Amino acid sequence: MPTTVIMPKVDMDMSHGTLSVWHVSEGATVSKGDPLFDIETDKAAMEVESPASGTLHHIIALEGAVIPIGQTVAWIYAEGEDVGDPPAALAQNDTAPPAKAAEPEVTSAPPPPQKQNSPAEPVIATGAGLRATPLARRLAKERDYPLYDITGSGPRGRIQASDVPDNTTRAPVIHTQGRDVPLVLIHGFASDPASWARLERELGGRRVIRMELPAHGRLIHDVPRSFADLTRQMRQAFDAIGEETVHLVGHSLGAAAALAIADTRSRRVSRLTLISPAGLGPEINGAALTGIASASRVESLGPWLRTLTHDPALISDGYIRAVMQQRQNPDLRQAQLTLADGVFPEGVQAFDLRAALDRMEMPTRIIWGKSDRIIPWKHAFCAPGRVSLNLFEHTGHMPQLERTAEIAFLLRQEAE
Amino acid sequence: MSREISYAEAIREAMDIALSEDDRTILMGEDIGVYGGAFQVTGDLIDTYGPDRVMDTPISELGGAGVAVGAAMTGLRPIFEFQFSDFAALAMEQIVNQAAKLRFMLGGAVSIPLVMRFPAGSGTGAAAQHSQSLEAWLAHVPGLKVLQPTTPYDAKGLLLAAIDDPDPVMIFEHKLLYKMKGEVPEGRYTVPIGKAAVRREGHDVTIVATSIMVHKALEAAKTLADSGINAEVIDLRCIRPIDRETVLGSVRKTGRLVCVYEAVKTLGIGAEISAMVAESDAFDYLDAPIVRLGGADCPIPYNPDLEKAAVPQVPDIITAVRDLVEGRR
Amino acid sequence: MSDANDPWAIRNLTPETLRESLRKMYLIRKFEEGAEDSYTRGLIHGTMHLSIGQEASAVGACVGLSDSDKITSTHRGHGHCVAKGADMGRMFAEFFGKETGYCRGRGGSMHIADVEKGNLGANGIVGGGLPIAVGAALSAKRLNTGAVTVCFFGDGANNEGAFHEALNIASVWKLPVVFFCENNHYGMSTSTERSTAVKQIADRAAGYSMPGVTVDGNDFSAVAEVMATATERAKAGNGPSLIESMTYRWRGHSKSDRNRYRTKEEIADWMDRDPIPRMAEMLIAHGIMDAQGVAEMESDADQTIAQAIEFAASSPAPNLADLTRDVYTRPLI
Repeated sequence: MPTTVIMPKVDMDMSHGTLSVWHVSEGATVSKGDPLFDIETDKAAMEVESPASGTLHHIIALEGAVIPIGQTVAWIYAEGEDVGDPPAALAQNDTAPPAKAAEPEVTSAPPPPQKQNSPAEPVIATGAGLRATPLARRLAKERDYPLYDITGSGPRGRIQASDVPDNTTRAPVIHTQGRDVPLVLIHGFASDPASWARLERELGGRRVIRMELPAHGRLIHDVPRSFADLTRQMRQAFDAIGEETVHLVGHSLGAAAALAIADTRSRRVSRLTLISPAGLGPEINGAALTGIASASRVESLGPWLRTLTHDPALISDGYIRAVMQQRQNPDLRQAQLTLADGVFPEGVQAFDLRAALDRMEMPTRIIWGKSDRIIPWKHAFCAPGRVSLNLFEHTGHMPQLERTAEIAFLLRQEAE
Repeated sequence: MSREISYAEAIREAMDIALSEDDRTILMGEDIGVYGGAFQVTGDLIDTYGPDRVMDTPISELGGAGVAVGAAMTGLRPIFEFQFSDFAALAMEQIVNQAAKLRFMLGGAVSIPLVMRFPAGSGTGAAAQHSQSLEAWLAHVPGLKVLQPTTPYDAKGLLLAAIDDPDPVMIFEHKLLYKMKGEVPEGRYTVPIGKAAVRREGHDVTIVATSIMVHKALEAAKTLADSGINAEVIDLRCIRPIDRETVLGSVRKTGRLVCVYEAVKTLGIGAEISAMVAESDAFDYLDAPIVRLGGADCPIPYNPDLEKAAVPQVPDIITAVRDLVEGRR
Repeated sequence: MSDANDPWAIRNLTPETLRESLRKMYLIRKFEEGAEDSYTRGLIHGTMHLSIGQEASAVGACVGLSDSDKITSTHRGHGHCVAKGADMGRMFAEFFGKETGYCRGRGGSMHIADVEKGNLGANGIVGGGLPIAVGAALSAKRLNTGAVTVCFFGDGANNEGAFHEALNIASVWKLPVVFFCENNHYGMSTSTERSTAVKQIADRAAGYSMPGVTVDGNDFSAVAEVMATATERAKAGNGPSLIESMTYRWRGHSKSDRNRYRTKEEIADWMDRDPIPRMAEMLIAHGIMDAQGVAEMESDADQTIAQAIEFAASSPAPNLADLTRDVYTRPLI
């Protein structure tokens, strides 16, 4: 009997998971414990390990498929075991929640291996793993708004027209809940708002507003030519949020933008947290920035992405493929190269925010990893005495990825 | 002058007008003479026009239909009544292979100005062989036009339009509508073939219905309005040709589509409407899945409760629309 | 000058009509041979059903008809079409699928019609034309045109329900129609002995209370004679007749026929009873034509066919943009 590979339940209230990337292809040999595929739930993204050693066959869930937990996605055959027709999707009653398993999903090619009266037939959904109505898709396209940034309110998370922010509110409101002072998050260069997802999970129900840098995602037409340009656009977007006071958090170039915003909107920023901020010294790893911005294949993107963390293993092949997927659009890559040329010409930080940092009167914190290979962490030392420094050993340019729980702890602490 | 008459009377009036206006018009069918037709639609027309023009045929659906085709091809304007639409199955050869194709096959050398009337639908306790809704069968055939009038006004106006039409027109009349009363003008008027009617305007959901389901949809829409859901109800009236623009325009407006029809749901008119929307630019206005409500995949049963359960009812429409608009499907 | 022992045709038809009838028989034969040849050369596609050997039946049945009289025809209908006066060029053009064809290239061999001349068209459905012919007769009666409708059908159709329903209705309503069965002994491969309960199809007439006559279908005069009686009865308002014309197709059912169901001897025997020389001999014997005149007529027919093929080959093909033209009289909205 081949070993069944299923969509595992990795989260308490998880009913479905999106199979984002297969690391192993049909017919390949795997050892028990090897990474098989990546999954995303509405809360987490993780690697699933092989439950057995052997060869992988009958992959019936495509990348991007949304699959109920417990459902078979492939089979692993032991050495010498006869690979015939795919086994019926049996023995799933134990693992699959009955209500969900019986519920028909969108199915599409390829057909399930055997059309038996099994209560839990393999279910395959194609597309980007996003459920959205045609109208929502059209509106998102017209408004230049990425669907993956939208939380669907329809059945099974389907994005409907009413979920797509209209142009007047389009700036950065990604999701808000609760009534506490919101965290406004600004991602770094060549990243995107979704990069905060892991940190947000750690923050629990904390209210969050994600902002997006120009030349990133949907805003690739009006590319800033200088840091002043960038600041002007970000300030406008910040004003559009309309929150009375916020806790502003930025990473890298986003931290520089946060600092610049805080400098002119100090009354609306109750706290400022700068993670690996740009703008506090001239040095920056220009090669890595242009390398990431210009890469058009996973082979060229991977090595650069691995410079972002202290532990290169944290950046899996699946993660690289997923990032490349987001960066398919050559116009997007060109826009970021143009932006990089404006703010970091020839690998130098062309703007200096040290004076601005001196002016900060609200509680301000700098977080940095001491293995940062993009911006020297010692730039932190320019901070005046009232700015808190949190420096992490064995941590690279993205502490929010490598030290998620600790960063979340710091942010939560401040909220209290 | 307009007055209230029944759907059956409206049809009879249309035939009366056609018979009086044109000697070439004849009625053919089983027991349509002194008996007056199984549903009393032809009534006493034989008294006015005699047995040479209100012709009882033998119980020979194939032969009778073929005679009507041949007569239409050579100068007469026959109106052929099937006693039950189910009996069309006996005459398919003449309807599908002959009437629908002769003009095309002969390069336009002939036309077949033939009208066929089919009492259709369930609800009379007549069980599986006398209750079907087979309009989609015929609507699948190029060369035919297929109508489903839903009001006395349309029954008369569409029949007169069909009689004027140079091509074969098939009219499916729901048996339960024959007694329905409505305002009908005296004298001649026509309702254009191929034009749907918006029976109720709304902005939350488009219900495209045919035949008796139009009335059920309207009743459902009334209840839905109480809970703040405004349904637009389109009476298709004609399933070949289909009024694309009315349907697509409405879907563009509401973003939601529910098709309701009595015929078996599978491979029916709802599939055509759904596909038409999905293939058009109106697709990009859909904000919810398309829903079809149609007959169950079984013959019409005899037991009255089973019979009701076999076709969509008002509560089914209400539930489906509500679930759709409120985001539960 | 005519003798009571002379054939009916010699006594009742003008020399001009007789010569014209022979000419049509030649045209039918040459048309079908030409069609077969064009098919073999790959000039036309689809299949065809040839009536070679049945020419006397078609021409004898139509000789007494005017253009206002109607016929309905069968898949083996080229003969009826020619007999009813069709133009060879337009027939060939239809075969070639050209816009100048009788059906503008939409019908092909199996649907050739010539409505102007009263030919309502060949029909691809066995028995399809039977109720339609009754309908045409109903029109003639109601509209008082005085026309008769001749309904051609084969022995195969006599077992279709449409045959029985049509004969019954025509008889009940006393309509001016003549049911003309060309019994060529086989419905595709199945002989009438194996398919039909009655010995002669004409026997079916009794069931519908109409005269039923069996006639030698390869004898032009005999066919013309029984037709004259039947059309007279129809036009007098006495209702339909059933004529069974015994004949034989030399060729297979269609181009895919391997002739496994009949013997070479049987085919040779019927070929000896070729209706065309028989007609020619009759005309020569009664001084209507001489041998040279017959030979000239035959070569004229060859020439007519050659010209018709040339016309068809050089005619324009239908415009693809007109694909759905004539599905309806007016384009749908």
